[in-house]
Amino acid sequence: MNKSSLAWKDFLAEREEVLRAWPTGSGITLEDGIRYQSKIPKEKNFALAMRKARENGKTLTQPRAGVALIDQHILLLRYLESEGDADLLPTTIDAYTRQNRYEEAAKGIEKSQAAGHSLLNGFPAVNHGVEGCRRVTEAVRKPIQVRHGTPDARLLAEISLASGFTSYEGGGISYNIPYAKKVPLDKSIRDWQYVDRLVGHYEENGVPINREPFGPLTGTLVPPFISHTIAILEGLLALEQGVKSLTLGYGQGGNIIQDLAAASSLRELAHEYFREAGFKDYDLTIVFHQWMGGFPEDEAKAFAVINLGAVVAAMAKAEKIIVKTPHEAMGIPTKEANAAGLKSTRQILSMVEEQSVCGDNAAVQKEAELIRREVACLMKAVAAGGEGDRARGIVRAFAAGLLDVPFAPSSYNRGKVLPIRDNEGFIRIYAKGFLPLDAEIMSFHKARLEERAKVEGRPISFQMVTDDIYAISKGKLIGRPK
Amino acid sequence: MNIVLGVIGSDCHSVGNKVLEAFFSEAGFHVINLGVMVSQDEFIDAAIESDAKAILVSSLYGHGEIDCEGLRQKCEERGLEDIVLYVGGNLVVGKTPFDEVERKFKAMGFDRVFCAHDDLHQAAEDLKVDIAARNRHA
Repeated sequence: MNKSSLAWKDFLAEREEVLRAWPTGSGITLEDGIRYQSKIPKEKNFALAMRKARENGKTLTQPRAGVALIDQHILLLRYLESEGDADLLPTTIDAYTRQNRYEEAAKGIEKSQAAGHSLLNGFPAVNHGVEGCRRVTEAVRKPIQVRHGTPDARLLAEISLASGFTSYEGGGISYNIPYAKKVPLDKSIRDWQYVDRLVGHYEENGVPINREPFGPLTGTLVPPFISHTIAILEGLLALEQGVKSLTLGYGQGGNIIQDLAAASSLRELAHEYFREAGFKDYDLTIVFHQWMGGFPEDEAKAFAVINLGAVVAAMAKAEKIIVKTPHEAMGIPTKEANAAGLKSTRQILSMVEEQSVCGDNAAVQKEAELIRREVACLMKAVAAGGEGDRARGIVRAFAAGLLDVPFAPSSYNRGKVLPIRDNEGFIRIYAKGFLPLDAEIMSFHKARLEERAKVEGRPISFQMVTDDIYAISKGKLIGRPK
Repeated sequence: MNIVLGVIGSDCHSVGNKVLEAFFSEAGFHVINLGVMVSQDEFIDAAIESDAKAILVSSLYGHGEIDCEGLRQKCEERGLEDIVLYVGGNLVVGKTPFDEVERKFKAMGFDRVFCAHDDLHQAAEDLKVDIAARNRHA
């Protein structure tokens, strides 16, 4: 164990308090969880499936899905597994549980029972408890992960791991800054150190558990260097606590060159920073998220967005792709629409994955080199501010705006950074806020945006930001004036 | 003219909220933006404090129906009889015809109901007209 790892006796003391937060937490023991996990067949283990995908050069498909009631949730997952042919399954958690509002989740369960359909936007795993969650993990054949957006996910993690989920999404930055308004960053980072320490404990006892920091953040015009820096920092925080199987994520931006550069550089940079920090014994994989911003309402157009993401994920050799649905513009999809997104993605993946298209493309390499330099600027600033303590460095960097996520709701995010697409659709920086990018990098961004402004005959402005946010939902990549 | 803006309930969709703040400010309104995860009471408190003429509620995550129920009654109970209420976003769980959604939320007391592709310039014009109308017979 390294010096930043939580002391075991402190973890155990905190654990008692965590389990008391809701009645379903009482009586959960680490021994029982490890014993239960040890009996799960290897082909159902998420960490092993991700490793195998890397070794075989495969891209695995995974949907998002979750409803209020256990039986309906099982039916939904089985449908996605059979009809959708999903390689990996999710259990998406509802918005009340994400805010630890278990009483409201309980009301949502009651109302859903009365209505006969789900009034919650996900599966309230804490309310259903270990017994209910084990019914879910036992009912499916594929590896299954908990996906959510929970700043304090300690109790949810205890229940999930004891119930046989073998992967857990999230992180102290990526599940706070885009998902909360008033949760202090030092609190969420500390709470996620608990989660990672718990995962580390399962690993120490021979149970591989995959961890996936949430890559796309706000999912809207996030420049790769910002999401990469945060993914690498969350990866380091997880490794410090004993996590071994790590999947870092990136959300499709739309420009193919930039997306390929982002996917390849994320893998390379993560290895570099992890090794520099002294970590060797870990298994790294990459997840590519199909476009996380606004979708076209027209289902044929939505499929086109989905398929472009699938093409790039396969070309980039990502081990996993998170699949959107043709109902994305309208909100939560039907099971049929969800399966349709999976099938369409599968068709593309199997047609592209054996081809080597990106390889040594010079434009991709040039863009990857830019991302590398930008990430270095941010990582250096975080390290300097931390004075040897990574978590402290991150908190200080956000406070100073050295790390800043565009459009995020958190009051612990400065929100000074504004991105705009350049004339080819690359996501560039318009307002840098306090990001510690050097003058050479900034003059490049500025020049690229001026080129677009000239073509469009209008000044670089907030109007361009707005136009770009809605461009894809209106059928274009770049938000050109009418 | 003051208007209150926010995303209701446990919803943390923040991108559109920031766009709306910039747009309505540009259109000449003074926007009190409460951001994401705003309760009904917070909307009403802000409207009373700022003497706002309208509350613009967003909901993107599917719980809009639960979260918006009773907002009009609560406004009236607290003395905001003439406040204009707008709501927009992805208001219900699952794909539903928009006229059905519009009927449901108008029945709850919202003056206008918007979906994702509605034109913001038109919404700003409508808002000026609706505020004038509500204040004329006040």
